[in-house]
Amino acid sequence: MRLILLDLPSPKRVQFYPLALCRPIWELRCGMSSLGEKLVAKTGVRDVACFVPEYMAESYRAKTPWPVNDLQSLKGDDLLLVSGRVKAAGLDMMPQGPSQAVFLPDGECLLARITREDAAKLDASSIEAFLASARSSLPAAALDVPTWNYTWDLILANPAQLIEDYKKAGRSGIEGTVEQPNAIRGSAKDVYVAHGAVVHPMVVLDAAAGPIYLDEGVVVHPFTRIEGPAYIGKHSILLGAKCREGNSIGPMCRVGGEVEESIIQGYSNKYHDGFLGHAYVGEWVNLGALTTNSDLKNDYSSVSIILDGHTPIDTGSTKVGALIGDHTKTSIGTLLNTGAYVGAMALIAATGRLLPKFLPSFAWYLEGVVTKGFGKNKLYETAKVAMSRRKCEWTAAEQAMWDEIFQLTAPERNEAIKKGRRTLAGT
Amino acid sequence: MATIEERVKAVTARVLRLNPDDIKPEHHFARDLGAESIQSVELVANFEEEFGIEMDEDAALSVSTVGEAVKFIAEVCKQQGVSA
Repeated sequence: MRLILLDLPSPKRVQFYPLALCRPIWELRCGMSSLGEKLVAKTGVRDVACFVPEYMAESYRAKTPWPVNDLQSLKGDDLLLVSGRVKAAGLDMMPQGPSQAVFLPDGECLLARITREDAAKLDASSIEAFLASARSSLPAAALDVPTWNYTWDLILANPAQLIEDYKKAGRSGIEGTVEQPNAIRGSAKDVYVAHGAVVHPMVVLDAAAGPIYLDEGVVVHPFTRIEGPAYIGKHSILLGAKCREGNSIGPMCRVGGEVEESIIQGYSNKYHDGFLGHAYVGEWVNLGALTTNSDLKNDYSSVSIILDGHTPIDTGSTKVGALIGDHTKTSIGTLLNTGAYVGAMALIAATGRLLPKFLPSFAWYLEGVVTKGFGKNKLYETAKVAMSRRKCEWTAAEQAMWDEIFQLTAPERNEAIKKGRRTLAGT
Repeated sequence: MATIEERVKAVTARVLRLNPDDIKPEHHFARDLGAESIQSVELVANFEEEFGIEMDEDAALSVSTVGEAVKFIAEVCKQQGVSA
């Protein structure tokens, strides 16, 4: 059996922007691991391949061991095709046996089990043709497959997912170093400190309401308080942080200040004081000192988010913070509104006022308006420097992907720039 | 109708809070007129709005004097079919 993960261009991808601009949806995190890791673990399959939007294929090849957009992977074995939006629990619903598929009315393939023999009969000239022929020829399975629909679904599910993932990981105890004096609240079995992790003195690990998992190489500085459930990824450093419950922090992050029920993908810095709540932050983000997001409206009504620059979408939740795309940098004192969308590769120089709820990718937010700023090449230069500091390389493939994202996000950015220009000119 | 040079001087004077009569073509935006980096972004935005043109930010920000800005804007207007 070969597992084929699918994340093809569609309007639904926008629902996971700005995080999915530069990665497949299954690379997003929820709990202790990515959605893709959960799908692979659920199936137990070792042979995995995937299909992603062409503009990110070359960049993604450098980050995954799986074949990417390789049509050969559709041949020679029984296949289990799964959309990156499918919740791992949904895989339980697909019965063993003959080929069958679950397609949505808009043509999206959520799940398909295809025998090797049936796969050989399908049109494999492209993944789109393969899926179209599967849809027209395979029996439809009448299943209501659970899916992730928006990025904030991941934020809201994170605390429960952390608890579930901790149980599945089956680890507890101190394999690293916990320097005394220290305080562990709750049951010791709900704390895991991995090999190489170091917890300095004067740290509180409060596992009374949920487990805490500190992965390899994590360093926790004095006066940090971590409330479970929480996952701190490999080699991340907590600097006197107040980590409220429900945080998933990916690898190589630097985190200080107050963080609550948030997901940080990895390689990002929130070094200083400032509140981050119910937020999802991409990679290579730097949040300047005192950057703060609101995650609750004063009237306790549900939070809306604008994903396309125009239309607010009601999240249905009273608690949603900010979505912040990869490589975005905020200045000191940045104030993000409830349900703020900050695109990728944006640079924000705060003015002291609340930012607009939607800031497009590659925006230079200066003097209270979106401008062309110093252009994308200057942003690329900064990205190169930031990545080199963590021994990562800004490759030609990476730049080509970001060039495509620049084009992809041009309409909403150009509109914001024109508006900003009029404001600056006083017209 | 004002010339491109007069309009460039008027915009520069407004953004940098100067007297337009004191601005000369040979003046360097940063060195002579005191434009800070963030004001150069404002100048580009204001020139675009004044002339109804779109300027490539890398090319526009490489312009250093008022006279160069006049020439650059005249060229962009010509390329984009805008009468200036």
